[in-house]
Amino acid sequence: MGIFRFSRKQLCIPYGLFLVCFVVLPLAVIVYYAFTDGSGRFTLANLLSFFSNGNTIGTLCYSIAVAAAVTAVCLLIAYPVAYVLARGGFKRGPVLLMLFIMPMWINFTLRLTALKEILTVLEGNLSLHPFLNTVIGMTYDFLPFMILPLYTTLLQLDESLLEAAQDLGAGPASVFFRVTLPLSMPGIISGITMTFLPAMTNYVILDMIYNSTYIMGSLIGSYFNIYDWNNGSMISLILFAGICIVSYVSGRTEHNEAENRGAVL
Amino acid sequence: MSMRAGERFRLPAAILLTAALSLGLPDLVPDAPAASVSAASQASEEPQTSEASRKAVTLRIANWEEYIDEGDWDEEEAIDLEDENSTVIFGENSMIEDFEQWYEETYGVKVNVEYSTFGSNEDLYNQLTLGNDFDLVCPSEYMFMKLIAEDRLQPLSEEFFDEDTEENYYIRGVSDYIRNIFDTNTIEGEPWSRYAAGYMWGTTGIVYNPEEISREDASHWAILADPQYKGQVTIKDNVRDSYFAALGILHEEELMELKDLDSGERLERIAELMNRTDEGTVSAAEEILKLMKENAYSFESDSGKADMVTGKVLVNYQWSGDAVYTLDQAEIDDYILAYAVPEESTNIWFDGWVMLKDGIEGDAAKQHAAEAFINFMSRPDNVVRNMYYIGYTSVIAGGESDIIYAYADWCYGAEEDAEDTIEYPVGFFFSGDNSDPGYMITAEADQADRQLFAQYPPQDVLERAVVMQYFDQENNQRINQMWVNVRCFNIASLTPADWAKIICAAVVVLAGIVITSRLHSDRSAPCARRRSGHQGCIR
Repeated sequence: MGIFRFSRKQLCIPYGLFLVCFVVLPLAVIVYYAFTDGSGRFTLANLLSFFSNGNTIGTLCYSIAVAAAVTAVCLLIAYPVAYVLARGGFKRGPVLLMLFIMPMWINFTLRLTALKEILTVLEGNLSLHPFLNTVIGMTYDFLPFMILPLYTTLLQLDESLLEAAQDLGAGPASVFFRVTLPLSMPGIISGITMTFLPAMTNYVILDMIYNSTYIMGSLIGSYFNIYDWNNGSMISLILFAGICIVSYVSGRTEHNEAENRGAVL
Repeated sequence: MSMRAGERFRLPAAILLTAALSLGLPDLVPDAPAASVSAASQASEEPQTSEASRKAVTLRIANWEEYIDEGDWDEEEAIDLEDENSTVIFGENSMIEDFEQWYEETYGVKVNVEYSTFGSNEDLYNQLTLGNDFDLVCPSEYMFMKLIAEDRLQPLSEEFFDEDTEENYYIRGVSDYIRNIFDTNTIEGEPWSRYAAGYMWGTTGIVYNPEEISREDASHWAILADPQYKGQVTIKDNVRDSYFAALGILHEEELMELKDLDSGERLERIAELMNRTDEGTVSAAEEILKLMKENAYSFESDSGKADMVTGKVLVNYQWSGDAVYTLDQAEIDDYILAYAVPEESTNIWFDGWVMLKDGIEGDAAKQHAAEAFINFMSRPDNVVRNMYYIGYTSVIAGGESDIIYAYADWCYGAEEDAEDTIEYPVGFFFSGDNSDPGYMITAEADQADRQLFAQYPPQDVLERAVVMQYFDQENNQRINQMWVNVRCFNIASLTPADWAKIICAAVVVLAGIVITSRLHSDRSAPCARRRSGHQGCIR
């Protein structure tokens, strides 16, 4: 028996190893390539070229535009759906939720191929509206990632707070905007993080839907395709830094929300 | 203690993991099948006995996906060539298994083939950079030129070129036309043939729907940027092929004027024009490619075939091998497509076997096995199996064996009662003499602009078919940068009017937000103390 008794520290070892091998080391490699030139000398040229090159900045803007549109559309669709599912008093709420989530279980190439056919019928020619098609394709793909966190947050919403607001004279709109919406902010934030970031880099959807303008993911891919690992790594690293900052800020916001809730109760 | 260690781990690890996943996953997905050069199942499985394992050679081969006969044919697929020897070709086992068996029978040495595939030349190159994984690979001509220039290839041995050895099927069978190209094209002063043995070859051209588009229109590069066919054209999603097409449009007039020159001089001039990489040419090509981007249905690396077959597009810039496949697929649905090669010029391309220095490492046994593999793949019956399976055209003409010509005739020869037939010469490839009556295929007339034309281009096409050279570092960088410029949305391309619009839109959105929040706070009068927000209200 004694052999099988591990301390918590020992139990951590495999996970620690995993993190070092698959998270820390790859990241270190990316950092190494980002700050060196082709012959391995330290350089900041990659960093400077990111900000001085009209293409990278333009692509960044285009990616943000795509991602913002996708996230906004997802949020507009997902919030009412999640609200109705969580608070509509359906007996079979979870079943309905599953129906919304289920497309996720079908391979996305298949789903996008089908979507392409539908869009072709509707628009006649896919190449006429590349931006619109990209937004539709990505929304279709990422919607479940927006619905799920919203549903979970709304489900846990404390009913008594809503009743209290009503008792104090707030109308339905006021209750929604001043109580429900602020309390569901954590769900909104995690939904946004889960759609915005992939939407900026997922160029598979872009390729499949025939948008021939690069987004960040395709730009990184194109650099690696021409063996320019240094610039490719720098772009990845800058995106990564951006994500870290966003995660940190939204983490702070959630933290504050939690404190606020604590204060309320 | 242990608790605290755990605590310290949690936060950064979680952030890193989420970030790594969200960053990395989408990027990995598209290339996944290509990049993960997957060891195929053909790898050896026999238990290693002491006697055999002592001598066994392991040969690591990387080839394009679906670029070799994998066997397992249905019985009715057997090809009865109906030639003098009534040859029947049938792929029972995979080519790899057959090679292992043949090698052991012929040379008494056991060979284990570890067969992998790659999805693009760039994936293969990256794989080669990362480690010593392969002994024998099959990249396209520009990639093996790059590898030769980087001194990473093992030269083929002298024995390989000995035409008196029965088993040297490659050198005994390779078409003189191809052999000449491999001997005369050089990189860094070395002829290709010193390092590379051809596998498949073809031209680039245009698959089109003849009901909607005239052959005349389809026979010029200009169709790829023609606004008349907006949204009806697909372009190849790689810089080399697209750049070549752009140069074809750019130099259209000059190229057409070369028609009257004699063939040698004409080829030389075309090659010069189609391989220009000076700044002026590249930036002119950039403008043409931007027009193409505006005009095209898509930049595609694989989907063009399906879009052509389903009728979504009318014009598809394509490699001849895939053109044959596209035409075949469409024909199943009685949809008739055709293939044209631009009058100005075309790119003649090759995939060839090369051995890696790092892999062979001076191991004579290994090199022998690698060269034997090339020869085995060049044995006429195996050539037919591969050609049937993958649809491309082999560089092998067959030498003394007429099996490969018999196969071409089997594919394209007209039925005896067919009315509208033509005599299609393929002698340039099989015997070096295009008027050779022994190599005339009596084909149905439409084959002159369909599969037969794509698979064995006529002499006039070859008189304008040039190799696209491997560009050196500096020129390569210029062209790649040009391609990024074409594909990216450039912030500098916004006009002042665009900026004005963007600023107006931003102001409207901001104003909207401000106004709604003002209105909202007025309406919720019961909670007068705005600062304390909703909590004050609830409390």
